[in-house]
Amino acid sequence: MTAKLNQQQLDSLAADLDAIRDSVRADLGERDAKYIRRIIRLHRGLEIGGRVMMPFGFIPPVFAAAVASLGLAKIIENMEIGHNVMHGQYDWMNDPSLQSQTYEWDTVCTSESWRQTHNFEHHTYTNVIGKDRDYGYALLRLSDDSKWHPGHSLQFINYILLTVFFQWGVGLHELESERIRRREIGLTDKRDFLKGFFRKGGRQAFKDYVFFPLITFPVAPIVLAGNISANLIRNLWTSTVIFCGHFTEDAETFSEASIENESRGHWYYRQLLGSSNFTGSKWVHILSGHLSHQIEHHVFPDLPAHRYPEIAPQVEAICHKYGLNYNTGSFGSQYRTVLKRIAHFSLPDRLRLKLGGMTAKQA
Amino acid sequence: MLSTIEKSSPLRWLGKQLFNRNDPAGFFDPLLTMINPMWAQGFVAARIESVIDETPDTRTFLLQPSSRWHGFRAGQHINIIVDSDGVRHHRTFTVSSTPAQWRTDGTITLTIKRAPGGRITNWMHDHLQAGATIGISEAFGDFDLPAGPSPLLYIAGGSGITPVLSHLATLADSPYAAPVSLLYYVRTEADVIGAEILNSLAANWPALTVSIFHTEVGDDSQHINPSHFKNIPELSERQVYLCGPKGLMDRVDELLAPFGLRDDQINKTFFSAPTSVPLDTPLGGAITFTRSSVNVESDGDAPLLEIAEAADLTPAYGCRMGICHQCSCKKTEGTVINRLTGKASGPGEETIQLCISVPQGPVSIDI
Ligand SMILES: Cc1cc2nc3c(=O)[nH]c(=O)nc-3n(C[C@H](O)[C@H](O)[C@H](O)COP(=O)(O)OP(=O)(O)OC[C@H]3O[C@@H](n4cnc5c(N)ncnc54)[C@H](O)[C@@H]3O)c2cc1C
Ligand code: FES
Repeated sequence: MTAKLNQQQLDSLAADLDAIRDSVRADLGERDAKYIRRIIRLHRGLEIGGRVMMPFGFIPPVFAAAVASLGLAKIIENMEIGHNVMHGQYDWMNDPSLQSQTYEWDTVCTSESWRQTHNFEHHTYTNVIGKDRDYGYALLRLSDDSKWHPGHSLQFINYILLTVFFQWGVGLHELESERIRRREIGLTDKRDFLKGFFRKGGRQAFKDYVFFPLITFPVAPIVLAGNISANLIRNLWTSTVIFCGHFTEDAETFSEASIENESRGHWYYRQLLGSSNFTGSKWVHILSGHLSHQIEHHVFPDLPAHRYPEIAPQVEAICHKYGLNYNTGSFGSQYRTVLKRIAHFSLPDRLRLKLGGMTAKQA
Repeated sequence: MLSTIEKSSPLRWLGKQLFNRNDPAGFFDPLLTMINPMWAQGFVAARIESVIDETPDTRTFLLQPSSRWHGFRAGQHINIIVDSDGVRHHRTFTVSSTPAQWRTDGTITLTIKRAPGGRITNWMHDHLQAGATIGISEAFGDFDLPAGPSPLLYIAGGSGITPVLSHLATLADSPYAAPVSLLYYVRTEADVIGAEILNSLAANWPALTVSIFHTEVGDDSQHINPSHFKNIPELSERQVYLCGPKGLMDRVDELLAPFGLRDDQINKTFFSAPTSVPLDTPLGGAITFTRSSVNVESDGDAPLLEIAEAADLTPAYGCRMGICHQCSCKKTEGTVINRLTGKASGPGEETIQLCISVPQGPVSIDI
């Protein structure tokens, strides 16, 4: 069981983590700029390559290559570039095309909406049930903090739909459809959000499903199918990575009461316990936008992500020092526990416990 | 070429749909610049053709701007855009060559002095060599040549000679018949910038008189004083052009007062860059929110987000604790202390997070 820390310990935890952040901050420079620019060149190459190859997709291996190329381009742009740039990881470079507040990424969700729901709500209230709407995306029951109702028994289907249409789900996240259903808010309250959603969603659909198929008219169905596949690949991969970040078996949740007048140390504590890593090769890390180092990302959301593997041993050592669980494992094993969590909590609590199912950890 | 995308509105619309950016041509920059740095679309690229030593601490960089650049008038300056240690910097320098030269062979020169302790001028001296490419802005500034042929007086100090070099070489070409005098203040003989150009201008252009004063040579230091105006006939009729350190400019204002020149006879250009506040400056200060034209005073350690809100502004924010960057915006001037790290910022333009930035002295914010 994870240690509970007193305020003094929390303060010293904060000081230890701050020291890591300050030393990386002080060292930011050429190497980080070179890294992100190299990734951006790779993205441009893959995207242009994919788009150019796609019309020749009537040759099956070319189709596979084109889909892979465009799918990888979207994954890299969303994960290693867009997500990280919007966290302000590269603001210090003062490059207008890498500014957190103006970057617009290649997915349905508007950057503005993402910065609100993800950067602010999710990163501030990580795993606080009732405040972190990313916890289960208001669609899945992933702990016994929320009451079971019969709809939950089919939540595996919801999960599959969410992962297949992930970019649209994320795009609509800010709509807070659960509150609309409960009639706490109406659609009119979300007018500005919806306008933005339709503009950006329309733009994304137009480019992948109308424009590129149309300009390659005779082979339009192939291009359409290829673009749909590339988007699908990206959706499956990104949702899986994200689910592995907070919904693994050992990732803990928190109550709203626990964060009243929260200290910086407790915020760190919550980030360490609410997040989970997975291991993999260099490319697995890059393609996950280094969210494979979700723990490091959550304690230092605005440090350039390619630094996470370098500081991970220090963060792990700090966890051990304070008796905190450093939740990591292979991609496969972590993902298996995510599926287990979705399945177990789809059952009514009594049945789940009778069957010896998972108990959620709340710190 | 690609830059036409930016000019046609249907193409710009399409570019926005396809690339999610307002400068769609910039999407290709990472690849284009790998092939040829001069093809950059995000800014105007300029290649360094050669670097010439002027004095021990001043060099002239001969640049070839890409064909997209619109040119300049004598006396104007440009911003250069350079990446040093991963950080993009903008700095202002005067074009020291003439528009005629740019029209003939497409080149311009920047004459750059190492600012003591300066980050970018020193970096340029140490790293920029022929063959490198930097970014430049369009030219700006209104240190313009006189409209008609009136007698002129130029007073320059140190690197403040740069716009004067461009002016004089342009006038000499016309040729300009009214008398032109230059009083040029440098520390020592070795610090004269553009010596060759000045010598050859003075030799071939009878209307020009050049007087160079050394302000740091032994006992007879020749700081500007009334006697320097003795040999300048009809001073009160002249158009005066001033460019130099603040001390010199202030002194000239005093010395010229008795001559009763009209305001429109005096043209000045300032080279001064913002300087850091002393370390022991108390927190708080006069805050200017430039875009909303709001000025407020703050004292103590209130962060800028709270200061802005107290002034009824509504900047974007999220966590209010430095995590989410929702509150990031541009500081155009002034020093702020980062609450999380306790570190002071630089004095110039940079991105800061309002919720954890405490002003130290006067600060301008672009909100
Ligand atoms: C109109 C104009 C024309 C100039 N022409 C010349 C010239 O021809 N030759 C020459 O040698 N010098 C010229 N200068 C001075 C030159 O811009 C400075 O010497 C130079 O910026 C110093 O840069 P640095 O990085 O070496 O110094 P630093 O001391 O590192 O810079 C000082 C600080 O001031 C800020 N800063 C510096 N310059 C600017 C700027 N332009 N705008 C906003 N913030 C800034 C930076 O953020 C930095 O933090 C000119 C200045 C101006 C305003
Ligand atoms: S409001 Fe979140 S970083 Fe300032």
